[in-house]
Amino acid sequence: MLASGAVLTGLGVGLSAISGEVFRVKPHQPLPVPAKHSGDKQSEIDKLKTAISNVSQELQQLAKKAGETSAEIFEALEMIVQDESLFDAAITEIETGWDAPTAFVNAVETFAELLSGDPTFEERLADIRDLAKRVAANIHGISLGLNLPEEGRYVIVGEDFSPADTAQFTKAVVGVITIQGGPTSHTAIICRSKSIPAVVSCAGAAELVDGVQVLVDPVGDRVVVEGKEADATQAISFVAKSAEPIIPVRANIGSLEDSIAAATTAAEGVGLFRTELLYLQSTAKPSKEKQIASYAEILKAAPEGPIVVRTIDAGSDKPVPFLDMPKEENPALGVRGFRLVGPHRDFIVDQLESLEEARKLSGREVWVMAPMIALTSEAIEFAELARKAGNFKVGIMVETPSIIYEIPNLKGVVDFISVGTNDLSQYLFASDRLHPSLGTLLNPWQPALIRALSVIAKECEAVSIYSGVCGESASDPAFAVVLAGMGFDSVSSSRSQVGAVRTALSSLDKSQAHDIYQAVLAAKTADEAKSIALAKLSLLAG
Amino acid sequence: MATVTATVTIEDPIGFHARPAGQIVKLVKDSGLEIRMGRPGETLVKANSPLSLMSLKGKTGEQLTVEVDTDDEAKAQGLISSIQQFLKG
Repeated sequence: MLASGAVLTGLGVGLSAISGEVFRVKPHQPLPVPAKHSGDKQSEIDKLKTAISNVSQELQQLAKKAGETSAEIFEALEMIVQDESLFDAAITEIETGWDAPTAFVNAVETFAELLSGDPTFEERLADIRDLAKRVAANIHGISLGLNLPEEGRYVIVGEDFSPADTAQFTKAVVGVITIQGGPTSHTAIICRSKSIPAVVSCAGAAELVDGVQVLVDPVGDRVVVEGKEADATQAISFVAKSAEPIIPVRANIGSLEDSIAAATTAAEGVGLFRTELLYLQSTAKPSKEKQIASYAEILKAAPEGPIVVRTIDAGSDKPVPFLDMPKEENPALGVRGFRLVGPHRDFIVDQLESLEEARKLSGREVWVMAPMIALTSEAIEFAELARKAGNFKVGIMVETPSIIYEIPNLKGVVDFISVGTNDLSQYLFASDRLHPSLGTLLNPWQPALIRALSVIAKECEAVSIYSGVCGESASDPAFAVVLAGMGFDSVSSSRSQVGAVRTALSSLDKSQAHDIYQAVLAAKTADEAKSIALAKLSLLAG
Repeated sequence: MATVTATVTIEDPIGFHARPAGQIVKLVKDSGLEIRMGRPGETLVKANSPLSLMSLKGKTGEQLTVEVDTDDEAKAQGLISSIQQFLKG
């Protein structure tokens, strides 16, 4: 039993806190193991037909409840559950002896395997497999419903919630806590869009029992047992005190639409143009003419200021169809980013030469950088290619821990570096950045990441290399202040955050930002680091 | 019965994904005809199955063969041009 006032940490979703009574969602009753039928094929086929028609009706109900955006998902799922080829495949399975639920699960799996490995369908796969479960559960008479209360104020607690689960949220659901699931989980996305305060990746919530009053405090990244709304962490409202931020705030883009939209913000140039996003669907290598045309358009549209272009950043988990990328055991540790210069030097050279033409056509200032650099020799190789191809400032991404120790060797080799904090965290903490239960290790406020970042800023300053940060962390206004305080020369944020980050960086001076960074160094945990920064910032804002 | 054959091109920037597949299946079911699709020269799949269509994993720019079993040439052409429309995204 958790004591009153106990604090459970997780990752917050949303800006307002709420208190309510815990309602634990029981894990679904497990489905029986695969089994053979007793010999009556026709009765199994009939059972399957009935179950498919029941599940179709359930999906129609869910579509009605879900409202416009998700309704389309359920309509698509209904069409899939009624798929005739799927039904035929299930009958074949029944004929080989499997009972109806096992046959349907096997049939779905056959198609799931055909679809796997294609990024277009990756997110559909979980939904399709969930369908197989629904049909099997229906045949076994197992309820997959959450049976949520319709009245009252409840904070629902569960492992993680699927699209079918979140569609069942009633108006009595005022807050959500998940034990697993990260900041980009389905639960987090739905809660953000419905403005339901949530804390995800909250391992301590496993101890919560029905009936306990809790405070869901997303700004504080925590849940407080018997907490009151008055105890909630307040989001800081920064007030700009000067017209210009202490360091430039640039925008991240990946397409022409992004570039046009970024130009409507107060961003000073582009800190990260992800070129691979143009090619994730291309089966044929884009010609130089095509590349020049698309780069020139994007450069012309970009917000005023320099534009930092990253050469193709693909790997076997993010494949570009026209580049041959064999399946790898550990794609995050494989041939990705600039390592593609081995098998695909021509494409990287084409990109750089096309960018030079686009630079001339647009008349813009272009910086180019290579991703996934681990050695000085790789930086030298890229710099030679880039300087031969055009008139750019040349840089590299700092994502691997090894290159941090080589920064002194980069003097005279590159003009700038840009830190990708997401990948740096992944490699520094040896934790898969998409893993649902490793959210804590990927928290940018981790003291080890903050110290690694400060080493990067200092080492760059010592050898006069311009340094910037373009990872997700630079989209957090408070974290951007810490980055400026440790000496980075610019940050680049996602488009929607440019305004907020700019305001935060305009609300103080460089020495105040440096003080906040110094104070944060005392922290022994990520939560402590964030609390220290927020407390200092509130004092300044107040 | 005659078979009307035509070629369509996937113009949707994200390829042949779930949405166009659903639109085509609905059209095929409403028509009551047997329609097959697939890569030229390969075994075609029935276009009344969204999973089979998605399993083609068609990419932007690829061409697909469409076969419509009907004696009504005009109806077939109408269906084919609707399918091409869905593949524009």
